[in-house]
Parts: sequence; C-alpha cells; structure tokens
Amino acid sequence: MTTLSLEALTMLGFTLVAFYGVAGWALIRTLRQEGQKVELIEGQGRVDTYSPKGLAALGKWIDAHPDDPYAEEAREQYNECVEALQTIDQPFYDWSDTEIKSLDRK
Amino acid sequence: MSTDTKTARAEWGTRFGFLMAMIGAMVGAGNVWRFPFVMGQNGGGAFIVAFVTLLFFIAVPGLIAETAFGRYTKKGVIGSFREVLGPGGAVGLGVVVVMVNIALMSYYSPLIGWTMYYAGHSLLFSFTSAGFEAEAFMNAFFANSALMIGLHTVVMATVAAVLLLGIKRGVERIVVVAVPAMVISLFIMVIRGITLPGATEGLAFAFSIDWVYLTYSSTWIEALGQALFSTGLGWGIALTVGSYLREYDDVPLGGGVFTAIGESSIGILAALAIFPIIFAVGVEPDAGAGLAFVSLVQVFPEIPLGGVIGIMFFGGFFLATFTSGLVITEVTVTTISEETRLSRRGTVLTVCTGIWALGLPSAYSVDFLDFVDVTFANWGLPLATLCILFAIGWVMGPERLRHLAVNRNAGIHIGSWWDPVVKYLTPTLLVFIMGYFAYDQFGSDVMIAGMVVLVAFPVAGYAIMSVADGGRQTSTAVDAPGGDD
Repeated sequence: MTTLSLEALTMLGFTLVAFYGVAGWALIRTLRQEGQKVELIEGQGRVDTYSPKGLAALGKWIDAHPDDPYAEEAREQYNECVEALQTIDQPFYDWSDTEIKSLDRK
Repeated sequence: MSTDTKTARAEWGTRFGFLMAMIGAMVGAGNVWRFPFVMGQNGGGAFIVAFVTLLFFIAVPGLIAETAFGRYTKKGVIGSFREVLGPGGAVGLGVVVVMVNIALMSYYSPLIGWTMYYAGHSLLFSFTSAGFEAEAFMNAFFANSALMIGLHTVVMATVAAVLLLGIKRGVERIVVVAVPAMVISLFIMVIRGITLPGATEGLAFAFSIDWVYLTYSSTWIEALGQALFSTGLGWGIALTVGSYLREYDDVPLGGGVFTAIGESSIGILAALAIFPIIFAVGVEPDAGAGLAFVSLVQVFPEIPLGGVIGIMFFGGFFLATFTSGLVITEVTVTTISEETRLSRRGTVLTVCTGIWALGLPSAYSVDFLDFVDVTFANWGLPLATLCILFAIGWVMGPERLRHLAVNRNAGIHIGSWWDPVVKYLTPTLLVFIMGYFAYDQFGSDVMIAGMVVLVAFPVAGYAIMSVADGGRQTSTAVDAPGGDD
C-alpha cells in the first residue's frame, strides 16, 4: 500500500488552504458584508458606496479626465457617496470623521 | 439607460442566491470528469501550482470584469454591447456571444440527459445489481438514439419550466438548494473514498508533486485552458448573472474571487472523491465519459455502500450539469426578452424550443456531439470571450469600469494593476491558446469547422445588428457617447 509522501501531504494541505480557505474566506466575508449593509440601510436609509481608497481613486480619475464621456456619471457617483457619508451616522467602509469632513463634491 | 428599465428589472433575492447562481453556472461536467484526470496527468501538485497562479492572475480579474460589466449596464449581452458601442452592426459582437451560448446549450442538453439517466439508474441501484456490465450498458445507452432524444427533450422542458418562474422564483430557488446538495454529495463521497484501504494511492496520483512538469509547456497550456474555460469566463454568463445584482452588492469578492476559486474547488473535491475510490479498487483512471460512466460505475459494486455512493456521485453530477444548463439558457433568454417584444414566457418557450431543435443532431449521435463540443470548446467559446474582453478592455476601458462599477460597493479594493490584465494579458493569452489549438489541429475537420465559426458568427452578428439597429443609429448615437441612453 502506498503511503503519502511528506511533499504530497504538504501539497494536499496547500491545496485545501488555497482553494477551500480562500473560497470559504470570500464566502463568509461577502455574506457578512451583505448582513452589515442590510442592517445599515434599514437603520439609516442609505450607505456609503465607496471605500476611502476607492473614492480617492475615483476623484483622481475625474480630475485627470474632466472631459471624458463617462466623467459626468463618475461625478454623480462621487457626489452620491460624499452626500451619503455626510448624512449617515455610521459608514459601511472604514471612514474616519476627519476624512469625511475633508470631502467636497466634484 | 432609462430608470424604468432599471426598476423593472428582476434582482437576486439574496447575496447567497447570486453566489450560488455563479457557482452553479460555472461548475459543469468538466469539473467532475476532466479536471481530476488532467491534474493527475500533469504533475499533480505542480499542475495545481500552475493552475492557482493562472486562476488568480487571469480568471479572477476576468470574472470581475465581466460581472461588473453586466452590473454596470444592467442589461443582457446585446444590450450591454450596445451600451458601450452605440447602436449598429458592431453590436453584432454581442450576437456572437448569444449564438455561441445557444450552440453550447444545444449539445450540453443531451449531455445533461446522460447524467440524468445515470442518476435515475443510481436510484434504482442498477450499478450494483448482479451481472451489471458498465461498458456494455454505456454503449447500449449511447446507441439508443430515441432514448437520447427523449432525455434531451425532458431536459429542455425542465429547464424551460424553471426559467418560466423567473430569476428569483425559478433560477435562484433551484441553485440555492442544488449547489450545496452537489457539494454535500461529493463530500460524502470523499469521506467514503479516503476511508477505503488503498485510497492513498489515489491521493498520491492527484497530489504528488513532479516539479519538472512546471517546465513543460503542455502543463501550462492545460492549466491555462482549465483556468479560462472551466470558469466560464467571457461566455456572457457572469455578465447576465451580474446584471441582476442589487444596487448595493459587491462584484470583486463574490463575482471574482469566490466564483473562480469556489468553482475550481469543486474540481479539487471531485479529485478527492473519485481517485481514492478508483485506486482503492484498482481501476485505471480515465477522463470524460469513460471515467464517469465506466470506471466509476465498475467501482460501486466493489465498495461497501457502493449503491449509495453511486447515488451521491450521479446525483451531484446531474445537479452540476443541470444548473449550468439553466444559467447558460438564461443568458439567451435575458437577452432575447430585452431585444424583442416577446414576454419572458414567450422568450423562454421560443429559446428552449429553438435549442431543443438545434440539439437533436447531438442527441441523435454521440459522435456529432463530440465534434460540436471540440469545435465550440476550442473556437466558439474563446471567440465569445474575446468579444466580451474587447467590449470591456478596448471600448469601455478597464479603468472606467473599475472606477464606475468594480470598486463601487466593493468588498475588496481593486487597484490599477487590474487594467492591463483585462486589456492586454488575458486577450493575449486567449489568442495564444487559440493559436496553439490551430497548430495542434491544423487541417483537421474540427479546425475547419472552427474557422467557419470564427468567420461566420461575426459576419452573421454584424448583419443581424446592422438591420436590427438600423433605425436607432441616427437618433441616439450622436448624443450618447459609449451608450444608447
């Protein structure tokens, strides 16, 4: 009867972590986030739509491409998030009060 | 895009429903009867390293792009193309994707019929009955054209019945039960397999590492093909499923990471379920119909609780193929119902009847099915993927999509590294693998048929949309850069 080599056992462990670990992490994280969002929306009617990193990148892109055919839509989405952050009590993403106060509409 | 269209459109009832629809669509026969063997034949662990690398660098970014594209446009395939290209013949690239989906489902439906037939016989404990001969049983089944056509008819009628109920009441209700049931079935089979004496030989076949395989181009080509085709990237499935996402849903974590890795996990589960059992009994491993319908069937009478394991395997296998067929058909149903005046009911009945009729030759002849399968797997599906990647990467632009749809409400932030992957890397690899197929099959009937598909489908798509969008062109194209609203 064959016994599994240490190398094969290590690969089996790596495979389980790389596939089931990552898939399980993604599944739990996304379902938890959905739960948090639903709770926030039920409590305050809306939720912030971008993370600090995401909104900063969007703002930078708008500044760099003011005449882009998609710029108007981008501005609307940017402003929507800024307005949400300024009106809600608890943001979904990790926003600090200082970061929120420093935000301006585009 | 009008607000009316947005509010009238159906949405997934839950996040779990969306995720299971993605997994249900992507997990198909290939995960169960191809992936384990390819893995074992290409260096085991070495193949996994190559495959995981390509999954993270190609499949995850690609699925994020396709899902986000559908979520951004909130339309089916043709509507999404029109949104970024503007009305006209070029929208025919979307028609190409739809035509490929129809062709794919026309031969996939008879294949679902096979798994349904074997699942039925597993419930009757036929495989563990005295004097059962697996190969003779399969050959007699494949030679029975009337039975094949009957099963194909039952499959398409069942698909139509589910789709008639709609996205939330039909597709979602099925996938939230079927996908976990499939995973549980395979998991029970894993437990049975690894507790058999001699099971470690099967694990050694699948997970032993032969690093030299990483230096072979064939390993990387197999891994690339698996990463591109097993995940269903660019077939319009992720686009369609993504178009039903709710306003606050995330794309990259669920539509990208979970779908690509979770879908591939089923292949690993199948390897863990199948090889320990096969090797414990001393049967030669195989791929395709030979593995599922001969090798495994021969094994069931030899192991304790083999009849029950047969039910688990074929039950799970049937669910894997059926959920794929369901969502593949939904791609066409969503698009046609948006593009025509047909109601959803009328669309479902028309599309399913059309696919049924087109699938008759594949149901009648297994050889024809094999031919169409190889032709579309090697040429039709990559063509559809290229069409979608072209619309995203070269028309709308990945940077715009990333800012407007990918990172909006996202569970993880996607940085600028993603843009060149979607625009350059994935299409280049896809063209490379098509070139490899051409080299490998040069002059063969399959290659000639593939060339016909590569030329005829875009030409037909262009012609259809030139006529269909003729009236729209002048009225909306000028004031709607990148879209029709």
